[in-house]
Amino acid sequence: MNRVGGRIGSVCGFLVIVFTLFAWRLIYLQVSQHDYFSEIAAEKHLIRVPIPARRGRILDRNGEELAVSIPVKTIYADGTHIQNPGEVATVAAPFLEVPVSELTKKLTTQRPYVVIRKGVSEDKAQELIRAMDSHKLHGLYLQEESKRSYPNGEMLCHVLGYVDHSGHGTDGIEKMFDHELTGKDGFRRIEHDRKGREILVYRGQEELPENGSDIRLTIDMGLQAIVEKEVDATYKKLHPVAASAILADPVTGEILAMASRPNYDPNHYSEAKTENLRNRAISDMYEPGSTFKIVVTSAAFNEGIVNQDTRIFCENGRFSFCGKTIKDHHGSGDLTVPEILMKSSNIGAAKIALRMSDEKYYDYVRKFGFGVKTGLPLPGEISGLVNPPNRWDKLTKSRMAFGQSVSVTPIQMVMAMSTIANGGNLMKPKIVLNKGEGDMVDAPVVLRSVLSPKTSAFISQALVSVLSNQGTAALARVDGFTAAGKTGTAQKISPHGGYLENHYIVSFAGYLPADKPKLMGLVIVDDAPLSESMNYGGSVAGPVFSQIAGQAARHLDLKPENDNPMLQSENSGAKSASLR
Amino acid sequence: MNQNRRRPNNVIEVNFLARWLVLVLMIGLGGLFFVYLKNQQHSIGDQTRGVEAMLREVESLNAALDAKITGLTSRGALQRRLDDGYLKLEGIRDTAIARITPAQPAESDGVLRTALHDPDSRFDPEASPRTINR
Repeated sequence: MNRVGGRIGSVCGFLVIVFTLFAWRLIYLQVSQHDYFSEIAAEKHLIRVPIPARRGRILDRNGEELAVSIPVKTIYADGTHIQNPGEVATVAAPFLEVPVSELTKKLTTQRPYVVIRKGVSEDKAQELIRAMDSHKLHGLYLQEESKRSYPNGEMLCHVLGYVDHSGHGTDGIEKMFDHELTGKDGFRRIEHDRKGREILVYRGQEELPENGSDIRLTIDMGLQAIVEKEVDATYKKLHPVAASAILADPVTGEILAMASRPNYDPNHYSEAKTENLRNRAISDMYEPGSTFKIVVTSAAFNEGIVNQDTRIFCENGRFSFCGKTIKDHHGSGDLTVPEILMKSSNIGAAKIALRMSDEKYYDYVRKFGFGVKTGLPLPGEISGLVNPPNRWDKLTKSRMAFGQSVSVTPIQMVMAMSTIANGGNLMKPKIVLNKGEGDMVDAPVVLRSVLSPKTSAFISQALVSVLSNQGTAALARVDGFTAAGKTGTAQKISPHGGYLENHYIVSFAGYLPADKPKLMGLVIVDDAPLSESMNYGGSVAGPVFSQIAGQAARHLDLKPENDNPMLQSENSGAKSASLR
Repeated sequence: MNQNRRRPNNVIEVNFLARWLVLVLMIGLGGLFFVYLKNQQHSIGDQTRGVEAMLREVESLNAALDAKITGLTSRGALQRRLDDGYLKLEGIRDTAIARITPAQPAESDGVLRTALHDPDSRFDPEASPRTINR
């Protein structure tokens, strides 16, 4: 009995030990390691499905769509679900526009994710899936993607930019506001069955996507279309290396239109040449020529160095200074400051500059915003080139007075001219009205007060005379409006030093109505192959400005304020003499 | 013999049996109901998924069509149609323009305006409805 009892005791003891071990192991797995094993189990059947956020649109100031996202599908194959690749290929090939043999080769795989075709339109993708279902075939699936579309094609391409294949902005507004446009993807945790279908009952955590904000620009597409048409016509007619135009509101600093040639279609950006991608309105610097005379004349008047009665002797067209000769196109004797601007006298401008101290002159150049980026939220803006006085030689100051030895960007010139137009304030240029904040619009930003209202009115009046029959820009006049502006004709700099013969960058910067400006415009034509006698700002860029400003005024329904019959007849006289 | 007489017959405890029968039945029914509900849940889940897919499809198609409309009515597209002669711009007759801003007749100051402010074309809310141009 004792032996039997002992054996029973041993077996029981053994069983107790075994079951204790089992129990311990069970507690270890179920309690101590619960989270770890739950995670492994969840990984087997739980997946995190991303819910893509919609990229925001880019709109013009009136809500016209300039960039939108179109939903498209990526078609992929799960090789593990395909039993007969040949049959699937035969059904799918017509929808995918791929040869059956090529598709069969792609589908003969055991890989679970093989991309067959990207960017398939929604309706075509649905037709494919319906065809697959009707043949009771499996293995081809759809993945949601989106494609960026620019409905206006080449129009405004340099401002809008484009997105790369991964959907991120690479240029223009698309790049600068990529974060706001992109939004934030959401996700959903789902459990799926053996066939990969979601088991809705076990749908888990869900976070909805935050769609990207719409970016509303200050651009008015009505004006942009006018500018594009005229710049395009100029580019095709004159065959220059490049042409640019900007329209802005001189009071608020809002950019209303901006166009450059050559350009590209952002829908097919990969086909564009590198030089066509450049937004020349902000990334090209050029010697401005006579348009820069507004700086020296307004600075001198503002400082009291010259006044309305000051007369400058213009040496009858040839002025020797420091061993070099400064020439005027038409020789003159004594000229007042407005006459210097009207006749665009280099000698007069140089002599005014020589009356100012280097520091004071340099200070005004910088106050007008030259030599520093304007802060326009577009990629690739450059600051231009303005050397400080300690790097000037004896000629620099006199040359700068008529726009040599200094390089500016078109946008800088627009803002500088706006300073005169709006009563003396340098405005910060603005191209974005708001970033999805509804109707909220930031107030215009005054960077600094440069000139007194008296100075700006005086210079403005002088700039009106530039468009008179005696001025250099009679062809820039606009019917029904008193416009003001300044021409610029600058020889191109040679890469080997000095200037290139018969290669000019011509420009016209002007605004209207002169007394209460609503519209500021700049036209630049870079190196048009014209004869030297024809290639002037007043004869090439001026008429383009006239065309643009005239149509823009009608578009904006500006009330023609010109009730001066003499100026009306002057306008018609100038038009009949127009080169265009 | 006496031993056989101790239990002359087997008593069927109906209450006891009925209690267990009801319990088993209820558990069985509960189980079946649970399975039924679970099936219903899955079936409704499938329907929900189908409706969600349909909604997504409609949304996508809508967005695609929106983009197509935007493309077809964009300035570039309209300009191309205009150039090709499919569209034509017609001037609006002065009398067909009604302005809600105060009208100013051209003859009062002799200024040529973009649209003629003809007194006859002034907007009159009492008159028959017209197209407002602005």
